[in-house]
Amino acid sequence: MGIGTLKGIALHLLAVGSLFAGMPSAYGIPAFARKYGLPCSACHEAWPMLNNFGQTFKDNGYQLGNERDAPIYQQPAYWPIMFRTTPVWHRENNNRQAIDQVPGNARSSLVESSVTTSGFDLSGVDAITAGTLYKNISFFIQPFIGNNSTSLLQTWVRLDNLARSHWLNLKMGKFELDLPISQERSLLLNNSGGLYYNYFFTPPGDNNFFTGIGVPQLGVELLGHSDNDYTRYSVAVVTDSNGATGLPSNQAYDVYANFNQAFEARRFGEQQIGVYGYFGQSPTYFQTSGGNPIPGTGTGNRSFYRLGAYGHWYIDKFDFYTFYMHGSDNVFLGNAVPANQPSRLPLGAVGPTWNGGFVEGHYNPNPRLILIGRYELARMSREANPTIRGNAGNLDIWTAGYRWYPIMSPRAGLAWTQEYSRITNAGAAPLSGQDDIRNSYLMGFDFDF
Amino acid sequence: MRLKITLASSALVFTLLWSVAGLAQESHVGKLVGHANRGKALYQRYCVFCHGEYGDGSGESAPYLDPKPRDFTKAVFKCRSTPSGSLPLDSDLYDTISRGVHASGMPSWKPLLRQERADLVAYIKTFSSAFQEEKPGEPVPIPPEPPSSPESIKRGGDLFLSLNCWSCHGKDGRGHGPSAASLTDSKGYPITPFDFTSGARFKCGDSDREMFRDLVTGLDGTPMPSFANAMTPDQRWDVVHYIRSLHVSRKHSEVKIQSAGQ
Amino acid sequence: MERQACMRLKYAVIPACAVVALSLSGRVTTGWASPADASTSVKGTVKFEGTAPKPSRIDMSADPLCAKARSTPATTEDIVVGADDGLANVVVYVSDGLSSHSFPPPGQPATLEQKGCQYRPHVLALQANQKLEVVNSDETTHNIHPTPNNNREWNMSQPHGVPLEQSFAREEVAIPVKCNVHPWMRGYIAVLKHPYFAVTDKNGGFELKDLPPGTYTITAWQEKLGTQIQKVTAAAGETKTLDFAFKQ
Repeated sequence: MGIGTLKGIALHLLAVGSLFAGMPSAYGIPAFARKYGLPCSACHEAWPMLNNFGQTFKDNGYQLGNERDAPIYQQPAYWPIMFRTTPVWHRENNNRQAIDQVPGNARSSLVESSVTTSGFDLSGVDAITAGTLYKNISFFIQPFIGNNSTSLLQTWVRLDNLARSHWLNLKMGKFELDLPISQERSLLLNNSGGLYYNYFFTPPGDNNFFTGIGVPQLGVELLGHSDNDYTRYSVAVVTDSNGATGLPSNQAYDVYANFNQAFEARRFGEQQIGVYGYFGQSPTYFQTSGGNPIPGTGTGNRSFYRLGAYGHWYIDKFDFYTFYMHGSDNVFLGNAVPANQPSRLPLGAVGPTWNGGFVEGHYNPNPRLILIGRYELARMSREANPTIRGNAGNLDIWTAGYRWYPIMSPRAGLAWTQEYSRITNAGAAPLSGQDDIRNSYLMGFDFDF
Repeated sequence: MRLKITLASSALVFTLLWSVAGLAQESHVGKLVGHANRGKALYQRYCVFCHGEYGDGSGESAPYLDPKPRDFTKAVFKCRSTPSGSLPLDSDLYDTISRGVHASGMPSWKPLLRQERADLVAYIKTFSSAFQEEKPGEPVPIPPEPPSSPESIKRGGDLFLSLNCWSCHGKDGRGHGPSAASLTDSKGYPITPFDFTSGARFKCGDSDREMFRDLVTGLDGTPMPSFANAMTPDQRWDVVHYIRSLHVSRKHSEVKIQSAGQ
Repeated sequence: MERQACMRLKYAVIPACAVVALSLSGRVTTGWASPADASTSVKGTVKFEGTAPKPSRIDMSADPLCAKARSTPATTEDIVVGADDGLANVVVYVSDGLSSHSFPPPGQPATLEQKGCQYRPHVLALQANQKLEVVNSDETTHNIHPTPNNNREWNMSQPHGVPLEQSFAREEVAIPVKCNVHPWMRGYIAVLKHPYFAVTDKNGGFELKDLPPGTYTITAWQEKLGTQIQKVTAAAGETKTLDFAFKQ
């Protein structure tokens, strides 16, 4: 059992662990439906996925612009709060896990075996409150009440339509970046396919504080859009703490920018293309006191970036996302070596780079049904050092599912979902070095009140 | 033989009737041609909860809205470019959908594709047979606007009194005239006259041209009449200028003209 | 093929070619006894049973020009009872028995006058597509706002002396008319497809003249007291008497 294998296990467990921590908290917000009397389908193709009307509403600061937006027009008892939870039945299977040959006996040798778990389950509760504090001042608070803990996923305030212009909106707090395709509004919930892996990808052996653009970040964002939301830009400056509060990281700032442009293809519908990039610097070591690192004093910053292009294509009732990402971490980050000890770099160490992307297709015959299919992949193009096997970290994920909405009401939402995902982690089986395949099947309710 | 001919002539009748009906299933807005069958799916997605399954304005949300959603079955619309009593043009319905109606539950649907909005217009027209039986009138002519001036504002103010606008809108334009409390729309719901001092945007469009047009067409379905017979075009522009001078919270050039004269 | 189809089907109830013509022109005239042959009439009185309610005073002080225009104060006109309990402003008309043929509207217009800030007559009956002339004899500006169910709704402002012409295309008994400037003003316009209607005078009397012989259903409509229906059969040269009685 070499270090490589143990590393492999550790990475695998880390990946799985981080999955549960970042369990997708996709949402539609019935509080908005209640406020305006519009049904979910007005803003959502199929909630939580937004359509252009809903995206415009969101970019306008959760305002329709009909002079009935400000809280003064609501009944005094109305409070914009919504709850969402997903009681499901799911089955997880991992075909090559290292388990003790004799259960309970740590000294019995490890064997590779398939592990299956299944049953009724609950992820937790999203309680979101969002809306307008005043005309052109919007807010969003999203705690996640998990089974064992509660965390604050997003909290921000936004000054909308500064200088009475759609082009200037300033947000501050902890927020999901203006991602090409919103992770928070993913249509899928299951363990293997719920996340967009490219948003959370870390190459093997890497200890970058930053774990991906899918993690809500702390900072400020300037966003602007045209009247019908066809042209959009956003620039965010965030502290390089990966969204963690308490100033644990360094004093550097990262920048994220996104730009997209939509156009109408008469026969087919709205088409959108965009580009994005995240450029940052993460610490490689900290000041210490008595050997213990002092949080916030991260230094030896080394840079990294994630960038790419994407599109959203409509053909009548079909639509597709296409997404590409190119990622690169500095050699010190990639090899988990402090920048003040370059001699610790392994022979032949380089900054890891990778490419990844996904294609996700939907068929939405009516507002009450949506079929989803997705293929996602990630490929390391350069590993951090020669001891890491060439295909370490490579992922292939296939997903298929559907969501059916038996009721559509301006008060609450209910969806029935069935999904299947299969994730292949190339060569990551802990003992044999074969592919590690995990598949997840999920069915259950998603309700939103 | 008799049966074949009966069928053939029935088919002929059916086709003729269908083609007459089919024309009402389309809308024409500029170069766009909207289709009611596509509009129906869009209506179910966006409109049905306020405007109702049968287009009669009694959707689930309607009891909680004021003003109430439009009843399409009556084919009476506020925001038109055609004379009072006439059906709206397709482009009038399209503009209302795109602009929304300020200070009401009707949002601006500009984020929808232009084709989608044209399809919705075509579907909305199927709710009333009036769109098949009648044609809309000619759009009212809107001459160029003369420049504003203290004299124009004064004349407009005199017309505001002599034409009894004040009896609903009040002498100061705040909407509390002697008749205001008794006003109902054509469905019997209480309705308040517009408060010109508030600076709020007008429901059928906010430009001077659109205000002029509203004076000519009236807002059908409400107590606001058409002044087509009651004023000459120049007089209507005077009234437009006078009304702008009342908008004290959102300064138009007319407000500056007024205060300069004081 | 078309011509053949027309002819073959002439024994059917409604010839197909005629139906086609209908859908395109909207009007069919088949042979009918011309009005010159018409020789019957139906006349009578509409009475009010019970104690007549006292009309209440209308306060017109909101518009000084209204009060100025009146020599006597105005009273409500929803139930107007005259001599011998005669009920005025009742629309009496033939509602059935004329088969499906149409009468062209008369050339002369019907006139509705705004005088002393009330409608004259209080109830006006006219034919579909007959010209309606609206006259404003008052110095103040009125707006005339009919609120029909079966016709197009319109709303026109009318200053003193400015002419106004409109018409109604479909039968409707009756269309309420209001003035938004003067909320007490209330009138009714009854639109009929044919000329056999009358509005009772101040003594409740009416006469439907020049009816062709036949069996008819006669309806009487009063704005507050509802409708009453009676059947009558009139032979050539006869004058039938028909009385109605309304009560609250």
